[in-house]
Amino acid sequence: MNRYRTWAALAVALMLGAGAAIYYAPTDYLQGVVQKIFYLHVSSAIAAYGCFAVVLVGSLVYLRNESAAADRFARSGAVVGVVFTTITLVMGSLWAKPIWGSFWTWDARLTSTLVLWIIYAGYLLVRRMADPGRQAARLAAVVGIFGFIDVPIVHFSVTWWRTQHPRPVVVNDALPPQMLATFLFTLACTLVLAAVLIGIRYRIETLLDARLRAIEPAPIVSAAPEAEPTA
Amino acid sequence: MNPFRVAVAVAIKDLRSEWRTRELVPALAQFIVLALLIANFGFQIDARDAPQIVPGVLWLALVFAGLVAFGRTFSAEREQASLEAMMLTPASPIAIFAGKAVAATALLILCEAVLVPALSLFFGTALDPGVVFAVLLATVGMAALGCLFAALVARVRARELLLPLLTLPLWIPFIIAGGQAVQAALGLPGNYDEAVGLLIDFDILFVVLTSLAARYVLDE
Amino acid sequence: MSVVVANRLTHWFGHDMALDSVDLVVDAGEHMAVLGDNGAGKTTLLRVLATALRPTSGTVEIAGLNAFREKRRLRHYLGYVGHTLGLYPALTAAENLEFFCDLQGVDRARVDGVLDIVGLRGDAHRRAGQLSRGMQQRLAIARAVLHEPRLLILDEPDASLGADAADLLATVMRNRTVVLATHDHSLANRLCPRTLNLRHGRSVGTATRLHVVK
Repeated sequence: MNRYRTWAALAVALMLGAGAAIYYAPTDYLQGVVQKIFYLHVSSAIAAYGCFAVVLVGSLVYLRNESAAADRFARSGAVVGVVFTTITLVMGSLWAKPIWGSFWTWDARLTSTLVLWIIYAGYLLVRRMADPGRQAARLAAVVGIFGFIDVPIVHFSVTWWRTQHPRPVVVNDALPPQMLATFLFTLACTLVLAAVLIGIRYRIETLLDARLRAIEPAPIVSAAPEAEPTA
Repeated sequence: MNPFRVAVAVAIKDLRSEWRTRELVPALAQFIVLALLIANFGFQIDARDAPQIVPGVLWLALVFAGLVAFGRTFSAEREQASLEAMMLTPASPIAIFAGKAVAATALLILCEAVLVPALSLFFGTALDPGVVFAVLLATVGMAALGCLFAALVARVRARELLLPLLTLPLWIPFIIAGGQAVQAALGLPGNYDEAVGLLIDFDILFVVLTSLAARYVLDE
Repeated sequence: MSVVVANRLTHWFGHDMALDSVDLVVDAGEHMAVLGDNGAGKTTLLRVLATALRPTSGTVEIAGLNAFREKRRLRHYLGYVGHTLGLYPALTAAENLEFFCDLQGVDRARVDGVLDIVGLRGDAHRRAGQLSRGMQQRLAIARAVLHEPRLLILDEPDASLGADAADLLATVMRNRTVVLATHDHSLANRLCPRTLNLRHGRSVGTATRLHVVK
């Protein structure tokens, strides 16, 4: 367990470092302090996509050769990914309110992030509701693969829809060098955190799997042979 | 038993069963009536607004009707046992899946054949062939996805919750493009050809993907 | 030649162990009965042998092939009547069989012959949902032999059949390798020279009948 503690400590330390970096980053002229949410919000979104890429790969590998390890990676990636997606959505809403005046807007990014959350919440539900083992793994793998493909398509569809109905939504993505550096550092720390969380979760899933298959003591069966030649 | 014949046999079998039991048609008819009532009493529609609101009502009704129609293709218990018997034959799982999807689509199209003219009749929107074409195109892709996930959740608890949860995110592109196409066909600003092009692309993509995935979902 | 070789079949449904390291060998032409109480694992075992369920661990070889890897190739070889019959109630008996002829890739002309064997010829045009449970069982048996399988796996086929169950089954089982699960010890006696006893998912031995019982 030592190895996991070390990595966990490192991840926490990095996040604290990122927090400091954010604190000392220059404040945006237009948006004020609120803009600083952006660092974690976008990092979190990217980390979430990374996790779901892990789910995709794990699912594809599992469907190909039924590898239990691939399935565990998929499971772990999904759990961690949903957590990061939740964080992304919450932070996005907190940011949106002061800037745009409402907690939500159906633009391409928010919509596809919400869809992402729904799909992978569905993934986790399928895992829980199906027969544990092979069936849960296989059905969830299909969900994971379709989900991953769907999100960019939803994003594209909403973007396309917006071009049909242009609306003035201003999102300034240009970043001066200092902010960019802060962002990249935060992103790196968040990705490390995501990787560590997946690793820890993988370990937990391995232990859970082993416990599921622990051989129960066999029920008492009489020693004398039951089967006699029936005449 | 080439796959085409198998698919046709499965589709005919499903349609014949439905014809004799008539379980699904009343449920779909409900949605048609529902759509008309909501459109009338839930919105203030006059001849001017109709092209803006009617497409939304149409897609709302279709999504619900679709969930019911596709949900039922695999859900009945006996259906599961029969599915097992089918999977033990040499017939290809893709062909079986295709047959069931085609049958469910036919039933949904029947529903649409009533709904679209009814909306046109009651709310004065044009009965444009463009509208019909867009709806049919979207139905194909939605059917492939709906049936795949219906087969998936059939083996799983909480399927009434899971089917919409899994299917709706995948239907969003169809609703967006289809909605646009219908609006454009009814005279609102929008690019009909682009929307239809998107529908065709989505159809091809998801029909291929669901065919590939059918094997993993139907088998034990 | 061994038609069925099952090795250390184990199956878990979640936390419940349904099969515990079951071994089984059935030779060509043999009729084997699987006996055991409810919950002993008979249905699970038969589903695994019919390749309808993949066991958590263990292997099954049928006709020398790995049953799960070569599932497609073995379809022609296997016939299965499950615990749940899986018939289409809205279709007639004949239509049910014709449908499966199409799926199996066999000529629809076989339907009449098979209906004769199970004694349902007169009810061919009645809807399956309106048949009695016993007749439905016979229809399911008919469906299982449409494609003339060499190996027949029957899960409690006698459950609803009447007094002539043994005769019907004997006819259907002739010249085939059969694994049959049942509660009825005397039926098993009559039809199957060998029995496998299951208890709590575990094989507690096989037995061979020494005398033929009339």
